[in-house]
Amino acid sequence: MGRKESILLYSIEINSLSKSYGDFIAVDGIDLKVEKGKIFGFLGPNGAGKTTTMKMLTTLIPPSGGKMNILGIDGIKSPLEIRKKIGVVLQQPSYEPTLSVEKSLEKYGMMWNVEKKIRKNRVEELLISFDLADIRKKKNDDLSIGQRRRVQVAREFMHDMELLFLDEPTVGLDPSARRGLLDFIKGKVKDGLTIFFTTHILEEAEYLCDDIAIINKGKIIAVDTPADLKNKFGREKTIKIHVSEQKDMSSLLSGIPDCTVEHDSGTVLTVRSSQSEQVLQEILKILASNHVPVEDLSVVPTSLEEIFLSVVKNSNA
Amino acid sequence: MHEIIRLVNRNLTISLNMGFVIWQIIFPLIYIFVAGFAYTALIHQVPFGNKTLDYPAFIATGMIGFNIMNSTLISGIIIWNDRRHGMFEQILVGPFTRAQYILSNVYTIGIIGLVSAAMITAVGYPLFFKQVEFNVLTIPLVVFASITGSILFGSIASIISTRLKSSEGFNVVINTVFLFFAFVSTAFYPAQGAPPILSTAFYFNPLTYLVDVVRAGIFGYFNGLVATEMTVLGIGATVLFLVATKLLSKLEL
Ligand SMILES: Nc1ncnc2c1ncn2[C@@H]1O[C@H](COP(=O)(O)OP(=O)(O)O)[C@@H](O)[C@H]1O
Ligand SMILES: [Mg+2]
Repeated sequence: MGRKESILLYSIEINSLSKSYGDFIAVDGIDLKVEKGKIFGFLGPNGAGKTTTMKMLTTLIPPSGGKMNILGIDGIKSPLEIRKKIGVVLQQPSYEPTLSVEKSLEKYGMMWNVEKKIRKNRVEELLISFDLADIRKKKNDDLSIGQRRRVQVAREFMHDMELLFLDEPTVGLDPSARRGLLDFIKGKVKDGLTIFFTTHILEEAEYLCDDIAIINKGKIIAVDTPADLKNKFGREKTIKIHVSEQKDMSSLLSGIPDCTVEHDSGTVLTVRSSQSEQVLQEILKILASNHVPVEDLSVVPTSLEEIFLSVVKNSNA
Repeated sequence: MHEIIRLVNRNLTISLNMGFVIWQIIFPLIYIFVAGFAYTALIHQVPFGNKTLDYPAFIATGMIGFNIMNSTLISGIIIWNDRRHGMFEQILVGPFTRAQYILSNVYTIGIIGLVSAAMITAVGYPLFFKQVEFNVLTIPLVVFASITGSILFGSIASIISTRLKSSEGFNVVINTVFLFFAFVSTAFYPAQGAPPILSTAFYFNPLTYLVDVVRAGIFGYFNGLVATEMTVLGIGATVLFLVATKLLSKLEL
């Protein structure tokens, strides 16, 4: 019996998984492997198909085609077996309006058949970890959106699981709660949990995830570690030049190879290039020969955010 | 603990709050006593089968059926609330099947219906005990009416819950249904003596059947009409339950 589990390398394996709504293809034949014990970031702009993918993986909706294997279990044949071993925080809010914060945690543990004593301890732990102790007696109906979201995420840790799905869990949280949640999740992964984490915020994925897949328009357009993504797409640097005279700099610089003008306000110019050294030299030469005084100058590595935007933009083209 | 028991436990916990208790128990009691005695001046006696009843006895027994309907319409709204508050999806990504969720709602509704009926019976008892005629059919009739009535009204609420999208629409529909069922029925006044159009309309209302069967049990009066009414209740509850289950199992997420 234990044989299969001991050789399980991937918590999630999907092959050409797709979902159509009528003629519209929301998820278009994606392949993914999520290693056991890792945090996998599923990143994409709004409407990319993240939630739809997650609903399929959590067996909430059936796929239109393809195969999926979750925790070594066939997702089409045995959805209930999968659901018993996973935790899911959906994108949409879910709460028991008439129950207090602590009662809703308690009852959720009961629904998962967690022993009463363990339940009690976990409620106390989670109230502290998620900064809910002050509002433990408040009804969910009376909470702010951020507080409700925290209860919703905390609640999922009432039960044991092998794999946790989080669909944009930090939406609606303030920066400190956001960081608190990400760190809490990191701690759980150390204990062996695998996490599938959906977000449209790149910083979060960069901070948290071991691997990242970028999805756009239902298709996966890149899968890698955050560092490799940066290496692959991120040799580019951004050059920012501030001049004191209004000049048509874009046309002055149009002759330089590998120099993409991102932004030109007349006095502030932003340029991207993967050969920033040479390009910078060229720019300075041209500006000097045209007697344009340079006020300020900076070269910064292109952020993952910009990589993300450009990868998405390219795949839209 | 079995999955369904856990879900029923959860359903009862979220349903039994102060508002529910006031609406379900205190309000009907006030109504029985205030209306029962106030209207006695207008309606002295109500013919019922081979006997005549005092109005307070008539209305107290009517309230049993009314309360079953009332509480099960409200608990049938569990599904609506679960959809609105995201708990429907959350439960369905948990260790439960749709069938278990549906059954847990039926059991919850049945339990709430039976308990409501028992409480109103207990409290209303002083009003109608003089005219009660217990016999072998009393308990079976009251229990049959409570269960089929609960399932029937619970299914109606579930069907409405699965069909509608907006809260405003839902409230309008539930309130309209509620008002029609409550007041176009034999719960508060007898069919005999009502204008013919109204007394005919009474029989397009399942609450009338429910109340008639409860009264038949409590006042020991059983005849062919009551048997027909039981059949209608049984068939109605079954059909509506199947429709509700079908709609719920097809509900897109
Ligand atoms: N039930 C549905 N019916 C029709 N279209 C849908 C449905 N659910 C999602 N979509 C569409 O599928 C696309 C992907 O949606 P979604 O997975 O929610 O994106 P994301 O979570 O990445 O923002 C969107 O264009 C959305 O409008
Ligand atoms: Mg989404």
